[in-house]
Amino acid sequence: MSKAIFELVDELPTGGLTVMSLNALDFAIPGQWQNIVGFDNTITAVTGTDDPEYLQAIGERAVALYNDRSEGYQTAMWLYNTVDSGSRLLGAAAMANKVGEKFSMLGFLGNITPKAETAQTIDLSVKLVAEIVAYCQINGIPGDSVGDFLAGLGDYGGESLMRMTALICFDGLIPLGPDFIGMVMDKMGGMSPDELAGNQTFKGIQDQIPGGDTGGQLGFITESFGSVSGWMSDFVSSRGLSPELLVGNLRNFVDVSDDKLDYLGAFLDVSTNYYVHTGTQTLARRLIERAAAEM
Amino acid sequence: MNGASMIVSNWRKALMPIALSVVLLFSACSSKEPSKYAATQKDTAGRNAPAAVSKNAEAGGDFNKFFPQGDAGFSRVFSQEKKGFAEAKLNKGGKNVAVLSISDTISLPAAAKKYERSTSKIGSYPLLDEAALKSTGVLVNNRYQVKVASRDPAFTGVDRKAWLQKFNLDGLSNLK
Repeated sequence: MSKAIFELVDELPTGGLTVMSLNALDFAIPGQWQNIVGFDNTITAVTGTDDPEYLQAIGERAVALYNDRSEGYQTAMWLYNTVDSGSRLLGAAAMANKVGEKFSMLGFLGNITPKAETAQTIDLSVKLVAEIVAYCQINGIPGDSVGDFLAGLGDYGGESLMRMTALICFDGLIPLGPDFIGMVMDKMGGMSPDELAGNQTFKGIQDQIPGGDTGGQLGFITESFGSVSGWMSDFVSSRGLSPELLVGNLRNFVDVSDDKLDYLGAFLDVSTNYYVHTGTQTLARRLIERAAAEM
Repeated sequence: MNGASMIVSNWRKALMPIALSVVLLFSACSSKEPSKYAATQKDTAGRNAPAAVSKNAEAGGDFNKFFPQGDAGFSRVFSQEKKGFAEAKLNKGGKNVAVLSISDTISLPAAAKKYERSTSKIGSYPLLDEAALKSTGVLVNNRYQVKVASRDPAFTGVDRKAWLQKFNLDGLSNLK
């Protein structure tokens, strides 16, 4: 049986590599993300109440909504988990406990293999599609028009905006370089369905991607990436984001040299699970928002 | 076995139950208390658990047209649309100041029942303010709950009531 939502939120870490690496991105979206952990804390953060009776009633409704599989929340959680390869390898949990110490990547270089550009390209675009599908599972398709829907997407803040920031930085800029947007568009445009079909991240969530067969799904992924590429390039340029700037901020907790950026990308990939972490926070907030409104 | 090792062996035998009980005591104390949501989890998870949302609940999209438009610096952004529930954020200056929602209490009768405590009305609809949640609601047709909840201290109970009046409550009451 899958874990209860209150357990998932209660067990979110307050430290470790995932939290440290996300905090290192605060400079890009100052003050937007607070690492709120704990189910009751989240209820208080969303609704402002710490009244025990209200906490209990809202919590119970949120638990029930999450457990109703037809409501889509569990599918969204599954998506966040499946596209996040972090913590599958390397005993990352053990490393993540060394809060306050600086990690030397040198010791891990032998265990890390940077992804080939094609694999990284697919990972990035599949993660983005997972975000769109998870958004729809959690929120439905709000409003009566495409404009309403896009407005909802554009209203991203808090942990959702942090997840997108981490996607751009950790899965785009660091492993693929400053021109990653154009590069991904080119590569996806010239990709064959067979190439896509062989990718692990794609295979993991294939059943949830619209488009029918692999060819149609490739089209959906490419179009989705294209439709947010403008938003992403604005985000990168308006904040002056560059691989060098990111590395400078990450150096607060990890030793890395400038010529090892592909290794840094791979290191972050296997040692953090930012999609699950912030995804759980997003899901909990939306669920609690709804529970409080319904009760 | 010489005398010394026998003493050690006996000593070990004697110590074993003590050590064991210490271990048991320790694990008993460290085992977590059940969560206060454990009962709900048990009742709502699993194959035969009741649905959280009634199959007769109104589609969330049917509620959209009764929401107020944004105005005077407030922008309205639809944020959730699920079976029996629709929600929009009210933003001002890029900041979320309130959430507007309509829900179908058919899935959660207790939500409708609490309006029995209501002492005032908007039109013919009972009104209830929940100070702990900084939330104000009305119940339409004894079924649809319309709520405005503050997300910013500057958005007061007076604002909540004013925004409730901007919903098309009579339209909602005619929803078939």
